[in-house]
Amino acid sequence: MKKIPVWIIDDDPIFKIIAQKIIQRTENLETLATFSNGKEALNVFEKAIYENEDLPNVILLDIEMPIMDGWEFVHQIQPFETLLKEKKIKIFILSSSIAIEDKLRAESDTTISGYLTKPISLNDLETIVL
Amino acid sequence: MGLNNIKTAVINWFAYKPKMFGLLVFITLFSLFNYIAFQNYLINQEDKRVEMSNMLNAITQNIEQSLRNCYTTTLSLALTIDDNGVPKDFELIGQRLLESNNTIKAVQLVPNGVIKYVYPLEGNEAAIGLDVLHSELHKKEATKSIQTQKMFFAGPIELRQGGQGIVGRLPVYSGNKFWGFSCVILTLDKLLMTSGVNSLNTKNFSFQLSKNNPITLKEEFFLPKTVEINQNNAVSSYIPDGDWKLYIIDKNSNELWNQLLLKMVIAFLVAFNISYFTFLLFKKPNELKKLIQIQANKLMSTELKYKTIFEQAAIGIATVDGLEGNIIDVNDNFCKLLGFDRKELKGLSFKEITHPEDVESNIEFFEKIGNGAINSYNLEKRYLTKNGNVIWVNLMVKPLMVSDSNSEKLTLIALVEDITERKLNQELITTSQQRIESLINTIDGIVWECDAKTFEFSFISKKVESILGYTPEEWLASKTFWRDHIYHEDRERAINFCLDKTAQNLNHDFEYRMLAKDGRIVWLRDIVNVFRRENEPTRLRGIMINVTKTKEIEKNLNHSFGLVSQQNERLLNFSYIVSHNLRSHTSNITSLIELIESAENEAEREEMLTLLKSVSSSLNDTMLNLNEVVNIQTNISLNTQKINLYVYVEAALKVLSSQIESNGIEVNNLVNCDEEIEYNPAYIESILFNIISNAIRYCHKERKSIITIKCYLEEGSKVIEISDNGIGIDLKKNENKIFGLYKTFSDLGDSRGIGLYITKNQVNAMGGDIKVESEPNVGTTFKILVL
Repeated sequence: MKKIPVWIIDDDPIFKIIAQKIIQRTENLETLATFSNGKEALNVFEKAIYENEDLPNVILLDIEMPIMDGWEFVHQIQPFETLLKEKKIKIFILSSSIAIEDKLRAESDTTISGYLTKPISLNDLETIVL
Repeated sequence: MGLNNIKTAVINWFAYKPKMFGLLVFITLFSLFNYIAFQNYLINQEDKRVEMSNMLNAITQNIEQSLRNCYTTTLSLALTIDDNGVPKDFELIGQRLLESNNTIKAVQLVPNGVIKYVYPLEGNEAAIGLDVLHSELHKKEATKSIQTQKMFFAGPIELRQGGQGIVGRLPVYSGNKFWGFSCVILTLDKLLMTSGVNSLNTKNFSFQLSKNNPITLKEEFFLPKTVEINQNNAVSSYIPDGDWKLYIIDKNSNELWNQLLLKMVIAFLVAFNISYFTFLLFKKPNELKKLIQIQANKLMSTELKYKTIFEQAAIGIATVDGLEGNIIDVNDNFCKLLGFDRKELKGLSFKEITHPEDVESNIEFFEKIGNGAINSYNLEKRYLTKNGNVIWVNLMVKPLMVSDSNSEKLTLIALVEDITERKLNQELITTSQQRIESLINTIDGIVWECDAKTFEFSFISKKVESILGYTPEEWLASKTFWRDHIYHEDRERAINFCLDKTAQNLNHDFEYRMLAKDGRIVWLRDIVNVFRRENEPTRLRGIMINVTKTKEIEKNLNHSFGLVSQQNERLLNFSYIVSHNLRSHTSNITSLIELIESAENEAEREEMLTLLKSVSSSLNDTMLNLNEVVNIQTNISLNTQKINLYVYVEAALKVLSSQIESNGIEVNNLVNCDEEIEYNPAYIESILFNIISNAIRYCHKERKSIITIKCYLEEGSKVIEISDNGIGIDLKKNENKIFGLYKTFSDLGDSRGIGLYITKNQVNAMGGDIKVESEPNVGTTFKILVL
């Protein structure tokens, strides 16, 4: 069975390592790439579309990041919404914020498929992605 | 006497009937003028007739003379006939006769009516052999001369030899027996020429010759007819020798008639005009008389009215001698007012009944009216009644028209109205008004009244002086004082609000600022009542209360509120950040512990433990940072002191000198050496260090970096400006975030997202503010406002 490719977008280098470790332990996921902010991820995303490179099926997105935060990333990727559906790409917010505003904002956005809070567990990841 | 009466009666009759008189004058004059004109006409007509008769007589005589000459000629010719009936020397005698009578054209001898001898023969050959007694044309007239045995002139007829001619035939008898005719032939033209007709004035008159045709017996005219002949325009005479009738005809017979008509028209006009003027002349006295009557009636009624008014008027009336001031006459009401009877009052001086305090002013007026300086006067004064009471009166004095024009005496009429009650009321009103006024003036606000449309003030209480510094007089002197002295920022709003509410008939209450006389700005609360008539707002009344102090308190309160809100917001933000940061570390720790527990081998566990140490260290850093922030925000009472800004900038640069050097940055400290600010020294150190180190950190690697630091005054505040030409920030995207905690805008590893947050908090804590201007790839400028 082919594993589902995942992008991790987070400015915290330690978290990126932790997330990768957890993904490693899942049965159905694999880390395709990690990015430190939205801007880096967006650049790669656009490049992948034009050059027909591999795209993830799951994007784990932090909110608080320098250069381009999670909200801005979602906003920038909105024009590709049909493409996201076509390629079955789901975006999950993965933040340490437990503020209700952030959760509501994520839920009201159709581009975002779910809202996860840190710390994440193996179980969380496996079930949500299904 | 009787005659005079009749004369007066006639004159009166005419005076009363000017139309009739005018008509009479017209008829008389018109008849007279016409009579004269007609007589004139008759005389002229007669003159003309006489003139014409004279002319005609002269002509007739001339013609008759010519005819007589012809008779002599024929007779002489006849004498040439001898006993045998044969003429002797006819040619010779004929020639002589023609020479002696130049009216004759030819001579003939006509034995037995047949023309046999003619002189001159030349030109008359055609006549030879004509038997006149048997010719139809000549027979009748030839026979006539035989019958009358007298010379008879036939014609004028068409001659055989040509032309119009007259043939004078003399019957000749030899013994007692008719021999024949001795004839002369005349041309009509020649005959007329000798008659003097040609000298006739042909402009006015014409001449005509006629004869009854011997055959038809009708009158025939021989000269061209210019004017029709009738009895009125012609005179005639008869010449039996030729059976002729002569006429002198007046060509302008209508002229006299026309003249007569013209004269009649002129006569009509003249008569009409004269009669019309006569009418006007006679009408005037009548009109005047009527006018006099009307005036007399009026005068009588006025006199009556005056008497009635004087006696029955509801006010007291007195006539006073203009010299002495003695009372001449009074009416009942006057007596009643003063309690005297009429007899007592007559002869008294007005000074005797006037209240002593009012005498002087009254005399002043009295003298002025006496010498003509004034025409009348009006005075409120007091009288003393008979029983010693004081009454208030309104006195009006005017000179009385003097009926006796010879008298130089001035009489005055005084009208006196009892106003005692009104005076008492007035006093009451004045007292109450004074009380109200003093009440108004003690109110701690400006009481006012103004027009609802123009806002022109009609009243403003004295309080205005203590609140705004203007006197009520100053305020009321200008129609637009209120509008003009509202603080300019509030003017439009305040006026429009007031207009709007007034238009809706609503009482209102609003606040605005006014400029006081000394330039202060005073906050007023204006409580306005709208007064209306027929539902139209007419006046506004209100009270202005000085609310400057309240406003100041409110302002301070608002400021404090703003500060508190800001602080609160910052705290919320801070708590959010704290929770977020701490959570991200703790969640990492949780995850790491889980990973360690489930680690598959020792190497992995080691790796996780290293990470855990790193997290622990980050957590510690975060805690330190937060502590730093907490330190600022809890430090409410900061000590400030005068510091030399230049020295502090230099100190910051010294700390950062190694980084400045390694990046090759040019730094310009343009702050004056003696520039001093009131600040907390630790804060200014931190602020300068943070901003300058940011400028160094975000310098542009591809060009020579320059950092400039200066200090200047802007709108009364000191500004410290630090500008660089570094990589810049896109403020459109990050405007709200730049001074936020943990906000970083570059991927440079050492960005912490705390420096500017702390800087802003420090600046705010000192009561100032910090602003940023930036453009990506151009540079950034920070401006620190120092209070």
